[in-house]
Amino acid sequence: MQYVIVGIGGQGILFSSKVLGKVALSRNENVMGSEVHGMAQRGGSVISHFKVGDYRSPLVNSGDADVLLAFDQNEAVRNLHFLKDGGSLVVNIFDEGSFKNEHLSKYLEKHNIKVHPIMGYEILKEHMGGNFLFLNVLILGALCGAEVSDITLEDVKEAIEQLAPAKFKDANLKVVDLGFRALKN
Amino acid sequence: MSNRAILLGNEAIARGIVEAGCLVTTAYPGTPSSEILPAVAKFADELGTKTAVEWGANEKVAFEMAASASFTGIRTCAVMKQVGLNVAADPFMSAAHFDLKGGMLLVVADDPGPHSSQTEQDTRFFAMFAKVPCFDPSTAAEAKEMVFDGFDLSEKHNIITILRPSVRVDHCRQDVELKEVISIDNKMNFEKDPSRWVCLPARVRVNHPRLNAKIEAIREDFENNYSKYNYKVPAKGKAKLGIIASGVSFSIVMDILKSWGREDISVLKIGTPHPLPLKMVDEFIKRHENVVIIEETYPVVEMQILDRTKIKGRWNGYVPKAGELLPEVTEEIILKCLGEEIELGADPDLKAALEELAITPRKPMLCPGCPHRASFFSIRQALPKAVNPSDIGCYTLGVNQKGVDAVMDMGGSVTMASGFYLAHKVAGEDRPIVTTIGDSTFFHMGLPGLASAVYNKHAFVLAILDNSITAMTGGQSHPGIGTKLRKGEEGRVVEIEGACRGCGIKYIKIIKAYDIDEGKQTIKEAWEYAKENEEPAVVIFKHPCMLLRRPQEKIQVYVDPEKCIGCKFCINFFNCPGLVFDEEKKKARIDERFCVQCGVCENVCPHGAILKVEGEEA
Repeated sequence: MQYVIVGIGGQGILFSSKVLGKVALSRNENVMGSEVHGMAQRGGSVISHFKVGDYRSPLVNSGDADVLLAFDQNEAVRNLHFLKDGGSLVVNIFDEGSFKNEHLSKYLEKHNIKVHPIMGYEILKEHMGGNFLFLNVLILGALCGAEVSDITLEDVKEAIEQLAPAKFKDANLKVVDLGFRALKN
Repeated sequence: MSNRAILLGNEAIARGIVEAGCLVTTAYPGTPSSEILPAVAKFADELGTKTAVEWGANEKVAFEMAASASFTGIRTCAVMKQVGLNVAADPFMSAAHFDLKGGMLLVVADDPGPHSSQTEQDTRFFAMFAKVPCFDPSTAAEAKEMVFDGFDLSEKHNIITILRPSVRVDHCRQDVELKEVISIDNKMNFEKDPSRWVCLPARVRVNHPRLNAKIEAIREDFENNYSKYNYKVPAKGKAKLGIIASGVSFSIVMDILKSWGREDISVLKIGTPHPLPLKMVDEFIKRHENVVIIEETYPVVEMQILDRTKIKGRWNGYVPKAGELLPEVTEEIILKCLGEEIELGADPDLKAALEELAITPRKPMLCPGCPHRASFFSIRQALPKAVNPSDIGCYTLGVNQKGVDAVMDMGGSVTMASGFYLAHKVAGEDRPIVTTIGDSTFFHMGLPGLASAVYNKHAFVLAILDNSITAMTGGQSHPGIGTKLRKGEEGRVVEIEGACRGCGIKYIKIIKAYDIDEGKQTIKEAWEYAKENEEPAVVIFKHPCMLLRRPQEKIQVYVDPEKCIGCKFCINFFNCPGLVFDEEKKKARIDERFCVQCGVCENVCPHGAILKVEGEEA
């Protein structure tokens, strides 16, 4: 499985790839991934690559990703080329209108890309008092709810419990459920 | 006991350093190397070793501490980023000539791309320049393994050994095996021997030929004893192409060939690019009619080959001379060398969607609530005509607010202020100069420039943006903070104000970065003082970095569309992710996805359109 995770610096993308790593390790799978640190991380476009299986390079090649996990819809469009035909996009939407762009729809259809949208900011406003720092955990829940990989809700919860600071544990687990339910049909 | 963990490449290297019995590890933070030293401290605490783990004020300091400690016979390690080695180049070039006693590993992280650097220089070239051996890992797990071999090689030949991970190794995440600390004879015993430890010119006449002999002996070693890092992956049948690949490029090539399912290409992996195992490489070249060399970022393997005429590489344009060799770039290189069709360009629908939706890559920006944003706004508004040099750190991003005119290197803010002052002085022109530097960078290389400016009577304002952290690289300590890395160790705080006074600064004011009115006024006053007295004046803008997540008052604001005239002043000079311009309505608005309610922008709009939300909500 090859994942590409995209968003904007500060949205907590590094934590998400840590969680995926923990899940893979608990299943004894080989993991390779690549992250962005330093200046590139400061509010700019951020991308993480994550590969599970027999790979050597940490980077996903264009057209090879099974899943694109996008914290930001614009970053999703910029990085759609990473998805293989028939791949899945889990995307945080803040502007539904522009995501219905005609050319975009044509591209998604042509490449048979399955889109799983989640209104992340709306959900966090409604349930978490607008604390957007939980976006990363919400999207991980959405990934499980969308059933686009073999990662289950239990896997993610277990990894988050081990990785997240204790004082945010309950809140994190609540948000994972929110993300899961939003995309579980 | 052995177990596995998923580590960042830098953590894997750190784990190797501790397991290999290294007793002194020093560093100065710099992307992509920064995570190594804190991880060394963490693993040393976990494994209960005595390893001294310290940040030096700069890379030269860090290198000299580690090198001299190795003169006593123990294993030591210095860690830095590629441009950090420029700072440490002086001791590095000297120490390369020494007949070392303890093993010394120099870990230098390269940044092809570059992602977070001012150059994409290749440390393997530095290894060639100093005539020391260099390992070039292709994965995190291999980098960890090379730490052990690096120390062994260093001790066998009494020479500094470089480990050069590039950014994709530093910041890759991989499952690696964890082991215990090995048992080595690692005894501290400094024996006085000036002929060995004093770099007099007379000694160089002995040391240099010996260094030449060492590097040839190491080349022999690399030819014969390092097949785990240098090996051939043969093609099935006759190869249409032979690829010589060093470092992470090897991993990328192998994944490409796997995804293509091609077996008509053979690969020679090079893990020890300097000194190059020439016999091995020559034999590979002889067996192929078509050979390409893929390595990052400079042609280091390529240039060591005596006859390059039939080789494809950078010299004849097959491999780009700049930029990172990403998988898509590497694919293109291989196809070009094979003379096969290359499918180029983005999908037309995707391209059209990106254009219609006006989606471009987001540039790095200071974080919402960042105190530097307020400081740059004050500085720029106080003296709009000033020349504004700056320095390396988050605050280089002040360029987005038109508050940064020139940045060169660490500490260059102070010395460039001197240069601009002199240029204006000899031209007989009077122009304010306000330069900016961060707290960590000030200790790194700001001090010598400041002493020099006081001595030579240079008039400028030095604004020290003190956010109590080395922020850009992820929050490391420095002399101005005083905390240390090993559990239970405390350092002492060196006060910036005292350091400035010690350099002879008389005008020094400490102000709150968020207070724009005070900032503007103080900068004007400081410049008047500097001009009047022909000396530098210092203003310290204080407020903790947002990454420290210290609690602070929340002030909710909104943009009044009646008052906003759409002039974009706030966008151009304040430039906050939480404040955006609605191109349809031609008005600014708060983007609640990013706004952290610092409230600073309330004082930014010249038309008073940014207002505090009154009432319970706020």
